[in-house]
Amino acid sequence: MYLTPYQEKILNGEYGWIYAKAFELIVKIGEVLGAEKLISVNHVHVSGVSYSNIGDYGLEFIKEFYVKGGLAKVYTTVNPGCIDLSNSSRLISNMFYNKQLEINNYLEKMGFKPTYTCIPYLHRRPVLNEHLAWGESSAVIFANSIYGARTNREGGPLTIASALTGYTYYHGLHLDRERVIDTVISIENIESKYYGLIGLWIGENIENKPLIKNAVNDYSSLKILLASAAASGDHGLIAIDKITPKKSYYMSDKIEKINIELKDIEKYQSKTLEFDLKDSKIIGFIGCPHLDPVEFTEIYDYIVNIYSRGRCRLRNYLLISVPYIYNELFINEINVLRRIGVEVTLGTCPIVSTISEKPDYVITNSGKAYFYLKKHKNIEVYLSTPFEIIRQLCE
Amino acid sequence: MNNLKIPVKIIIDSDCFGEIVVINERISFYGEVDPVTGIHKPSGKNINNKILLFPSTRGSTVGSYILYALKKYNNAPQCIIVEKAEPILVTGCVLGEIPLFVLNNLSFNYISSIISDGFKAIHNKGEEWFVVEH
Repeated sequence: MYLTPYQEKILNGEYGWIYAKAFELIVKIGEVLGAEKLISVNHVHVSGVSYSNIGDYGLEFIKEFYVKGGLAKVYTTVNPGCIDLSNSSRLISNMFYNKQLEINNYLEKMGFKPTYTCIPYLHRRPVLNEHLAWGESSAVIFANSIYGARTNREGGPLTIASALTGYTYYHGLHLDRERVIDTVISIENIESKYYGLIGLWIGENIENKPLIKNAVNDYSSLKILLASAAASGDHGLIAIDKITPKKSYYMSDKIEKINIELKDIEKYQSKTLEFDLKDSKIIGFIGCPHLDPVEFTEIYDYIVNIYSRGRCRLRNYLLISVPYIYNELFINEINVLRRIGVEVTLGTCPIVSTISEKPDYVITNSGKAYFYLKKHKNIEVYLSTPFEIIRQLCE
Repeated sequence: MNNLKIPVKIIIDSDCFGEIVVINERISFYGEVDPVTGIHKPSGKNINNKILLFPSTRGSTVGSYILYALKKYNNAPQCIIVEKAEPILVTGCVLGEIPLFVLNNLSFNYISSIISDGFKAIHNKGEEWFVVEH
């Protein structure tokens, strides 16, 4: 791999052991993948920080980078950890509270922003063809597909290495030739409430780089679709016709055309809700990926509206997960929701945390949550829409 | 006794000399390898201080941290030879300072048909091969 004299110096340890180590990580991964050089990045999003996922070994690694003097060289945001940072949740276990705070402390002392969210574009919106080094598959696919920025799906340690050095390897989705669409998927006639299912189907069935035609022009639905596809498959870019900026992807000469119909995706929708809501322990979950301010406000208004009309008495759990900064932006709204009995968790979500009470069912609007809760936590999950979930949980 | 020369591409280089342990399947370090004992649970084999030969890795990205932990517990393999290296393995080997090599134009299936556990091998830093006592 070609390295500039400055990069050689970092690698040889002239700026300290920790920067050499971080740099070596990027260079070695780049070499294995066949990258020719490194490239500067403007924004790093660090994933793999949940103690519930990475355990003591991950904690020790992050601690070592901090103890040996690592400091962020570029703007760096952080993914959710495994605890509700308002420490008020009955559902998200606080058994790892101190361990997670220890990790957060190292990250913040290295100069990373305490965002604790999977929607880093809330804090800094990527621009067209800008190079990023992001972890968190749902954020990566949103950056590439909605903003036309360029990032691969990076692992946690690599993102920390990029944060400390400001570089990543020039390969994969950073290159024009890896952003060539060879499959066109039409999803005409499918309502947006099925977009989570469409995403899961694409992730499982499409290995090439697709462009989706006839999608609704609604960011919330597309966010659900993209996150689902990135969970069930390894997609980092799915172009959306009329949404993804034109100059951020290219069309192949040979295009395969696919139509998705409702019957193709129905297998994911395990029947309709046939169980008895009253006798089951249910968690309604909205906020995977984390709700953006518009989504949060819509859901807040909806809940307050039906509650004030006496049409909602929550018998089961309704869990809403939001970025940590909502502690400042929406503290009044969060307090209102909590008084109604809604669980609003800050800086975490059930995917990266430990749930204290295993429910009989989870009802969620998120195909990604569906995928992980079913696969990794062995929970029965049903897909629905946010408003429908709220209605179902109200008596 | 013949010596067999196995060409490799160097990913992370260092001298490496010792006994080979062959694992015949892709390894998910997270869940399959215990860093406190150095045991690869599905095969029951101890990888501590061995030359670990296997096809490639699979599974969770937390696997990188397990390689790092193996080193911290002094249970890391002396070096690793694989058919295919992917980022989770490379990350773990960089973090754990474990030398890593990729078979050069040889398949794992072929190599594992002529090499068994307990064979001794040596690699000198800078050379693009291992010599196996055969």
